[in-house]
Amino acid sequence: MSKLVAQRAGDPRFVGPAVETHGLVKHYKGRDGVVEAVRGVDLRVEAGEIFGFLGPNGAGKSTTVRMLTTLLSITSGTARVADVDVGREPDVARRRMGVALQEAGLDPRQTGRELLVLQCRLFAMSPADAASRAQQLLELVDLVEAADRRIKGYSGGMKRRLDLASALVHEPQVLFLDEPTTGLDPASRLVVWEEVRRINGHGTTVFLTTQYLEEADQLCDRIAIIDGGRIVREGTPAQLKIELQVRLGLDEEPSLDDVFLDATGRTRERVAGVVREVGA
Amino acid sequence: MSYTWVLGRRALREALRTPEALLPTLFIPMFFLVVNLGQAGKIFPSTTGFLDGQNYAAFQLPSSMLLAASFGTAALFLVEDIEGGYFDKLRSSPVPRTSLVLGRLVAEVVKGLGIAVVLVLLALPFGIHVASGFVGFLLLIALTALWAVVYVGFMQLIALKTRSAAATNSGGLIFFPLLFLTPNFVPRHMLTRPMEVAATFNPVTYVMEALRSLILQDMVWGRVLAGFGVVGALGVVMVLLNLRMIRHYD
Repeated sequence: MSKLVAQRAGDPRFVGPAVETHGLVKHYKGRDGVVEAVRGVDLRVEAGEIFGFLGPNGAGKSTTVRMLTTLLSITSGTARVADVDVGREPDVARRRMGVALQEAGLDPRQTGRELLVLQCRLFAMSPADAASRAQQLLELVDLVEAADRRIKGYSGGMKRRLDLASALVHEPQVLFLDEPTTGLDPASRLVVWEEVRRINGHGTTVFLTTQYLEEADQLCDRIAIIDGGRIVREGTPAQLKIELQVRLGLDEEPSLDDVFLDATGRTRERVAGVVREVGA
Repeated sequence: MSYTWVLGRRALREALRTPEALLPTLFIPMFFLVVNLGQAGKIFPSTTGFLDGQNYAAFQLPSSMLLAASFGTAALFLVEDIEGGYFDKLRSSPVPRTSLVLGRLVAEVVKGLGIAVVLVLLALPFGIHVASGFVGFLLLIALTALWAVVYVGFMQLIALKTRSAAATNSGGLIFFPLLFLTPNFVPRHMLTRPMEVAATFNPVTYVMEALRSLILQDMVWGRVLAGFGVVGALGVVMVLLNLRMIRHYD
């Protein structure tokens, strides 16, 4: 667990865990009947952690994140983010969390600066404060030169950095990043990793979903693996590797890939195209 | 209201930065005005009773104004926001859900006013004048802008429900039957009986007749109020349905 957890112990903003769910369930009405996307997820993420949420495609990662971020209704169970019940007080929860979802959701017709100023205004900042905060964030993510260009001309890496910045306008206590490096080249991926570490270094809890196992290994204090809508493993990367090594009596320490494959009941042959490894 | 206005300004900026979407809303209605005038202008000279001394272009202008106000491009921009993920970004902010849909409708009022003014100015060279005077002119553009809100409200419902550009675009085509089930080419009393009945049940008829009375006649309050009444009632329905839809949006 990160030393930030200890530092946060005295932080009046943090009374309980950063994220806590009990029996979280999501059912959809599909064409072929009810789809059970999430089937009773219990999670506890401590303040100050970088928490990795892994799973194969369709396992329930994004659905869980969308429930935690108030974008999707909860079928049953409870979810609290930064001490707030997201189902009961969604607006209060929104003020405490930042959200950057898959494939940076940005408005291509605005400039980077306009987008950040608008986002600040949506968090009730005055026009002057919004302009000042936008400038700070542009400097932070190294987009000052491109600030007054329209976003449709930005590269994938620039868009991802801007998306990160837009999730930080209100200095959230918990930052949700849904597959933040999907589709990025290795250099841009490294930049995003650095940003995530820096944001966490300032005390923000990061809840990160990813399909890249090396990313989780590099960044995360703890991880959980979801499969078929249920949590099948949870712990630090080191704990999970040791547990697998001991259980299977392996001579060498397994990789996080091996942990993932074991947890999801898949083999390397079966999951070709599902599990991707990156060497950033 | 401040959140609504902040989002409305963004929607206006979006419209101004997409002239390729804005220009057809002027060009196509003007095209229909010219074509309809060319086809029927000689049949209905300015001495025709229902033209009140103006030419047939004055009779046709309301159809063009309603057409211009019925493009619903704001709803297509909304679908782009949904498909691109920006709508979720907006939804994850602590903004009242109502502002997320009202912002675009407020922008549509402003845009509708602008388009209506430009259309009337473009129509002046055809010899058209607004017989009801300056107040009538203001009512003319206000009614057109409010109709634009009604129509975009309808298109937004389709956008929020289907989240599909194709479905939203197709939904827009509903206007064409409504436009032609009106006293589009001649006054209602000159229509065949079945068409007259259809036009009487079509709410667009009352908006068109209100616009037409403002152009051709001095203030005929009965007609004007009927038009505003229809637009007001439909506007309330559309806003309420939009609010319901956004509150249940998952």
